[in-house]
Amino acid sequence: MTPPPSAPASGSSGLSTRYRLRHATAYDYGEDVPISHHLLHLTARPHPRQRIRRSLMTIDPVPAVRTERVDYFGNTVTYVAVQEPHRTFSVIAESEVEVFDPPALAPDDSAGWEHVRDSLRGLTGPDDGAEITQYCFDSALVASSPELLDYVRGSFTPGRPAVAAAISLMNRINHEFAFDPTATTVATPLAAVMRNRRGVCQDFAHIAVGCARAIGLPARYVSGYLRTLPPPGQPRLVGADVSHAWASVWCGASAGWLDICPTNACIANRDFITMAWGRDYDDVSPARGVLLGGAGHGLTVSVDVEPLED
Amino acid sequence: MPPVPFTQGSLFGEADAIGYGSGQVYDEMVNGQGRLRPHWQTFMSSLGPLDSEQMAQRWEEARRLLHQNGVTYNIYGDPNGMERPWPLDMMPLLLPAHEWKAIESGLIQRASLLNAILTDIYGPQTLTRYGRLPPSVIHADPGFRRAVHGIRVPNDVHLHFYAVDLARAPDGRWWVLSDRTQAPSGSGYALENRAVIAKVLPDSFRHCQVERLSGFFDTFKETLFSIAPRTSAAGRLPRVVLLTPGPYNETYFEHVYLARYLGLTLVEGADLTVRDRTVYLKTLSGLEQVDVILRRLDADFADPLEMRADSSLGVAGLIEAVRAGTVVMANALGSGLMESMAMKSSLPTLCRHLLGEELRLPGVASWWCGNDAERAYVIDHLDGLVIKPAFPSLSFEPIFGAQLSAAERSALTERIKRRPWYFVAQEQMALSTAPVWQDGRLQPRPLVLRVFLCATPSGGYAVMPGGLTRVSSESGRLVVSMQSGGGSKDTWILAPRRADVAANQPRPSALAMEPTASGARPSANDLPSRVADGLYWLGRYAERAEGALRLLRATQSRLIDSNMPGATLQQRPLLDLLGSLGMIPAELARVTESGTSRGLRDALHAAVTDPDHPNSLRAQVLRLHRTAYSVRDRLSMDMWRVVSAIDRQTQQPKGRMDAASLLLRLDDAMIMLAAFSGLEQDSMTRGAGWRFLDIGRRIERSLHMVALMRGVHVADLDRQDEPMQAATLSVLLELGESVMTYRARHLTSVLRTPVLDLLLGEEANPRALAFQLAALDRHMRALPSQGVGTGTDPTGGALAIVAAARNSLERTDAMASSEALRTLLDTLAMTLPDVSNFLAHAYFSHAFARSA
Repeated sequence: MTPPPSAPASGSSGLSTRYRLRHATAYDYGEDVPISHHLLHLTARPHPRQRIRRSLMTIDPVPAVRTERVDYFGNTVTYVAVQEPHRTFSVIAESEVEVFDPPALAPDDSAGWEHVRDSLRGLTGPDDGAEITQYCFDSALVASSPELLDYVRGSFTPGRPAVAAAISLMNRINHEFAFDPTATTVATPLAAVMRNRRGVCQDFAHIAVGCARAIGLPARYVSGYLRTLPPPGQPRLVGADVSHAWASVWCGASAGWLDICPTNACIANRDFITMAWGRDYDDVSPARGVLLGGAGHGLTVSVDVEPLED
Repeated sequence: MPPVPFTQGSLFGEADAIGYGSGQVYDEMVNGQGRLRPHWQTFMSSLGPLDSEQMAQRWEEARRLLHQNGVTYNIYGDPNGMERPWPLDMMPLLLPAHEWKAIESGLIQRASLLNAILTDIYGPQTLTRYGRLPPSVIHADPGFRRAVHGIRVPNDVHLHFYAVDLARAPDGRWWVLSDRTQAPSGSGYALENRAVIAKVLPDSFRHCQVERLSGFFDTFKETLFSIAPRTSAAGRLPRVVLLTPGPYNETYFEHVYLARYLGLTLVEGADLTVRDRTVYLKTLSGLEQVDVILRRLDADFADPLEMRADSSLGVAGLIEAVRAGTVVMANALGSGLMESMAMKSSLPTLCRHLLGEELRLPGVASWWCGNDAERAYVIDHLDGLVIKPAFPSLSFEPIFGAQLSAAERSALTERIKRRPWYFVAQEQMALSTAPVWQDGRLQPRPLVLRVFLCATPSGGYAVMPGGLTRVSSESGRLVVSMQSGGGSKDTWILAPRRADVAANQPRPSALAMEPTASGARPSANDLPSRVADGLYWLGRYAERAEGALRLLRATQSRLIDSNMPGATLQQRPLLDLLGSLGMIPAELARVTESGTSRGLRDALHAAVTDPDHPNSLRAQVLRLHRTAYSVRDRLSMDMWRVVSAIDRQTQQPKGRMDAASLLLRLDDAMIMLAAFSGLEQDSMTRGAGWRFLDIGRRIERSLHMVALMRGVHVADLDRQDEPMQAATLSVLLELGESVMTYRARHLTSVLRTPVLDLLLGEEANPRALAFQLAALDRHMRALPSQGVGTGTDPTGGALAIVAAARNSLERTDAMASSEALRTLLDTLAMTLPDVSNFLAHAYFSHAFARSA
């Protein structure tokens, strides 16, 4: 089940960190369930700055059916069906991943954002602009709105280089939205997050994605993990020890996709491990399931991101 | 019959003689000079003089047939919109053979084209990669199903059933208005329209040589069976099911109708389950593999695992089964993409590229705002255009540019610029008109023609020779829609002249629907567990309503007529029962004086008609109605009509109702419930479905009899004085519908032992407990032995309870003493409900899926 290792892109800085990842998900259904179906995004997807060294998924009870495929966005998806009565269901995904730093940025030298937007129309041909432009449009959880457009105009001012504008957007969301795990759930609509200016990393990623789309730039929602141990002397990063999410904004052919983390106001570097990306959370939720019966369910998730010494 | 010359005066009133068909639009019947078109002559002469009385008679006949066949449709969001009668005009739309030939070839080309586009988009996507189609056309469309991209479908056929809306322009050419590629509706209504009109206008139908429809459905059925993934190597016929969203869908009638017509099992999502990447139907005899699913469910709702998680209509794991190739969907999931209006302006180019042909049937000119040049044109020409949603999942009403104020115009322009890909603009088209019989004369009304195509087993497409013509209710309407009050017409394609026919194929009627090997009717073990469950509860609710009704009627009649022999004394046990069964408040049940108190009268009224009172007759009838609705496809039209009548009779009256008219209503409802019971016995095949219905009835009647006995404290009867004992026993006899039997045997006195024998122990009395238990025993032994989901004998536990109950009734001392009788009744009250629980566990344990 191990995907072929991918080489780091030639453009990376060459600095890297190796991690041992462990993501454990456990459901307790309260009573026996005769059958359950699951869709899992728990295997790291191919990524130009990542190399997957080892990947293993342990499922209990052992499922009758387990298949793996690559979805429309290039993510690795596992389908699982448990067909015997079971009261609990658990998945432990373990892997070893090496992540490389992105190349150094020159925010002010990148193409102006209007130019990036306008050149999207020319993107066709076998190398497929569609792979990029498909992230321009409304999706199930992120629809552009006049409010988002108003907000993003504060950063995407006329003529500003796309990279600089995206970093500005990231910093503003970081300053102007409060990190508050009690403010939202997965069902909170984007408009409410925008109104209350509170939420968690998933919400901020959605806001950033929605903002970019509102001014016509493609943007992806990225799901993954963040390194847990803070470097000495620096503050501990929010979002550690759980699944993390950030946004990736298209900044033109030369700058490419820029991964911005509004939660921590930083560009994703080798502390960020990418698992999957899509248009929004709905495309990449780590575990999604449908079961027959059951009395309710308790869910326990634990994530370990352990950097390895070389 | 030779055609007689057409004289306009016999057809129209003076005003219409001048106006009809001579306007700006094309009229189907008369030409610009007001003369009858040639292909209408046979029809009009066969119709004879248009005498309005005769037409009214035919109209009545048509309405009667539609009603008899239960043809209805539902309107969303309208509380009175369920079960609307189907509006059908008596004048068919006539089209000559040569004209139809051109339409046919254009539509077959279009079906092939749309299928080829689907094959590319859900496969290699060369059209977008090489700039023949903007990628945004697919990626901006919420109807593009990423989850099914890359799944190969058998023979690359995505589109198995396809409908097109056509309109005729003033120049006489037909244009395509829209394509229906998700799960097209209307073909069943077209069949029904034909059945009715052919009966109402038999002479015209015969003289006009109308093409038959059945051959088309034969072909479609063959196609459905031919696409099954496994061949008959497995030694059994493929199983094809029709998947419906359920009774609340707009066109549920049609789902029922088509399933019957095509010989498919009608299923809801909850009837199916996916195991081992294979779809199974949950039947009474276990899981049966499903090979082909004809879906009337939008793809979005098909699988809560991979599509909308909040859908309770779909089947979890369905897409994984499609991916594994164990089941074939018709249409393929994702086919709805071709309903996109954004694609229309690209079709001529794509047709040249993919088929190497010119597009034969033009589409109404349209511009997609997602394309820069087209958007610029739209914004400059708003006045002459209609703005519509580009994708079917976005719903907003068409905007007529010419009707906008300057401010509205600029607001619309802004909206378009913000999300250009959501908008298309179309030329406004003047629809042709056809004659509609309205207000005693023929009047021209705008029409849209829906035509249906199906894939053929050999890989091409066939067109149904006919269609569903929809007409607008007003002459000037620009939108034709059944949802907003339009009507429908039968569509007659006239066969080529006899000379041409002779050399041609055998008449299509020779291929009339015969049950063939591949299309055998669904067998008995196809009964989905959900349906068995529904029928079981239908039996229970029907019996429960009957029990409540008898009790209310007995009480009401004594309140009205206190001169009835024994009326005053008999009120006592009746009120006790109403109280103990929760139909009136307990404190009212205890009142001692005769039942004239205002409070009691109000409470009795509420016990009949109050829908919010959980134990009222009305509440039971609502349950009965709802349950009947959920299994409507298993009930005869008469049964359904009876249920509707009971529903009407128990509705809350508009004004206040006096006691006498309330009693009359109860009598009427009683007759209807008896009719329902009679139809159960006389018009239902003795299959597993009927058995479950009857089991429900027997269980409910058993429980009710025990409740009555306990409610009047029959075990303590000896503590009452003798007249009170007699009154109580008389009430039991009446509620147990056994007065006549008793009188025939024991002329005078009403005594405890013979009454109890008759109501409890006598197996020959269909109202007695012993009769119910014997019937239950018989039914349960005849049920399929293999229940779903349990390893143990499903009926064992239930049979044991029934056997114990029968034994205890047969003991000679069972009812001898008060003590013995009390023990007997208490034991029955405790154990009998478990019969229901055992059956439910064994056969109906199909809890609905939920998301985690």
